Amino acid sequence: MLKYTVQRLLLAIPVVFGVLLIGFALLNLVPSDPATIRAGPTASADVIAQIRSEMGLDRPLWEQFLRYVGSVLRGDLGTSLVNNMSVAEELSRSFLATLELIALCLIWAVPMAILLGVVAAISRGGILDRLIISGAVAGISLPAFLIGMALLWVFGFKLQWLPFTGRGGPLWTVDGLRHAILPSICLGLIFIGPVARITRTSMLEVLGADHIRTARAKGLAESVIVGRHALRNALIPVTTLIGLQIGYLLGGAIVTETIFSWPGVGRLAVGAIVANDLPVAQGAIIALALGFIAINIIVDLLYAVLDPRIQAR
Amino acid sequence: MTLAPGPASPRRALSRFRRHFGTDYPAMLALAVLALMAFGAIFAPWLAPYDPLHIELTRIMQPPGSMHWFGTDGQGRDIFSRVLFGLRLTSLIGFAAIAIGGAIGTAAGSIAAFYPRLDGLIMRVMDVLLSFPAILFGLAVAAIIGAGTLSVVIALAISTIPLAARIARGAALTVIAQDYIAAGRVVGLTDAGLLLRYVLPNCLSTIVVFLTLRLGQAILLAASLGFLGLGTQPPTPELGTMAAQGVNFFFFAPHVTIIPSLVIFALVLATNILGDFLRDVLDPRLAA
Repeated sequence: MLKYTVQRLLLAIPVVFGVLLIGFALLNLVPSDPATIRAGPTASADVIAQIRSEMGLDRPLWEQFLRYVGSVLRGDLGTSLVNNMSVAEELSRSFLATLELIALCLIWAVPMAILLGVVAAISRGGILDRLIISGAVAGISLPAFLIGMALLWVFGFKLQWLPFTGRGGPLWTVDGLRHAILPSICLGLIFIGPVARITRTSMLEVLGADHIRTARAKGLAESVIVGRHALRNALIPVTTLIGLQIGYLLGGAIVTETIFSWPGVGRLAVGAIVANDLPVAQGAIIALALGFIAINIIVDLLYAVLDPRIQAR
Repeated sequence: MTLAPGPASPRRALSRFRRHFGTDYPAMLALAVLALMAFGAIFAPWLAPYDPLHIELTRIMQPPGSMHWFGTDGQGRDIFSRVLFGLRLTSLIGFAAIAIGGAIGTAAGSIAAFYPRLDGLIMRVMDVLLSFPAILFGLAVAAIIGAGTLSVVIALAISTIPLAARIARGAALTVIAQDYIAAGRVVGLTDAGLLLRYVLPNCLSTIVVFLTLRLGQAILLAASLGFLGLGTQPPTPELGTMAAQGVNFFFFAPHVTIIPSLVIFALVLATNILGDFLRDVLDPRLAA
């Protein structure tokens, strides 16, 4: 397992390097000059030149890149051009809010998706199966903003059951939880379709396997066959997809957070891009990308624990 | 001279298509919806009852009715006319991104399959590209060249490249192992000739099916970026951008957001259903 872990971490190095390169390119490819933005519209050429050299923008590109990598590794992502706050601080706050949302979403959406997939598989060809499959196809075709706006309209505005803007505090407080419910449902509905679909496919495959026939021949109860013998085997490919989908949840969170004004890293990124606040935009994009990579690594390792055949390869 | 036909002959696929299509009602409905939308999008300038950019401040936020079938938006523009033009742009963005990303990805994937020495390098680069969700490319490109239609196309094309490369490489590896490719080498065909005349045409159905399945996602992502304000800029009608413009007065005139969103949903759903159908008919292996 240790060898596999090390291998997996080594494989991530070029990807992380790629992320940092893209992050660095962000600052250098933009037509606007960060020094001019920082100096303000009325600054003289001398002042701009001075800020350029303070920011290290007059050094050769490779040197700037090395310095940039060094400062990212130290956790220094610069300061916002808009409010002069530390990007790292803003990121750590908003990243927590995003993780909170994703965690709450997973708590209900993973069991729900697996349950729907299993139900569809057991009632193969029946009405329930068709309903679930149609729902899943519809789910992956729905724009996240339509789901979000519909939830907001029905539960926030018409019925007034739940608040729908901002974060109400930590999740374990009543207000915090109430604020997080609608965005987490919005996020979960994007997630359920693909996971339910793969659970169904995987269950159908396992239900046709020899060991299930043996279990049936032994006269085991159907619930034991499905729950203990089929589901555990069927969950292996499902875990991979869940992992990938969690990564995409980070992407989906960008839209959800914008709709529900959730102070997460996605909303931070969009706001920064619209406001031309490059250091924040760059930091948020790097944070999202690194988060995505980290999730993929964790899932791969989890997968190896679940399926020992992976490590052997 | 002719070499033996590849594994997926077009005639066989066509007959399978005919056999399946008559019984697959969702696929028939999806095709009908897409045909209707394509008609509306192509002939938008003639079909649209109003100028999609014409502002009429005396008629803002009108609900759907006989004068304005889909109502009017916050500046009194006719939503039906804007939807027709929006369909045009949104689908065009999806198609362009898929075509560009698909072409580059297919080239990279088949070259990787054909030249084992380049395989490792090309596929590692693809792995790096694959490590990011598409919407993140959208944010990055918008941060670099600014929000706009072009940045959405670039972002979606980049995110399609690694996926297309993987599919193309897999398909090409199967084709390259066939006897007729060895035969082609023996009779002295050049690498380029083999790749273009024999390998690519035989991978095409797999790649086309994959790209159709990807098209729905691309359209959805384009609309999402538009909704976030990182895509096509107003007043140009694009479905996601149009949906975003209704957000500020959503509680008074929800139709301004909901109608373009529903059109996106119908477009993507029809594309997905048709993609699933094409996959089942042309390339059942992809279903696994």
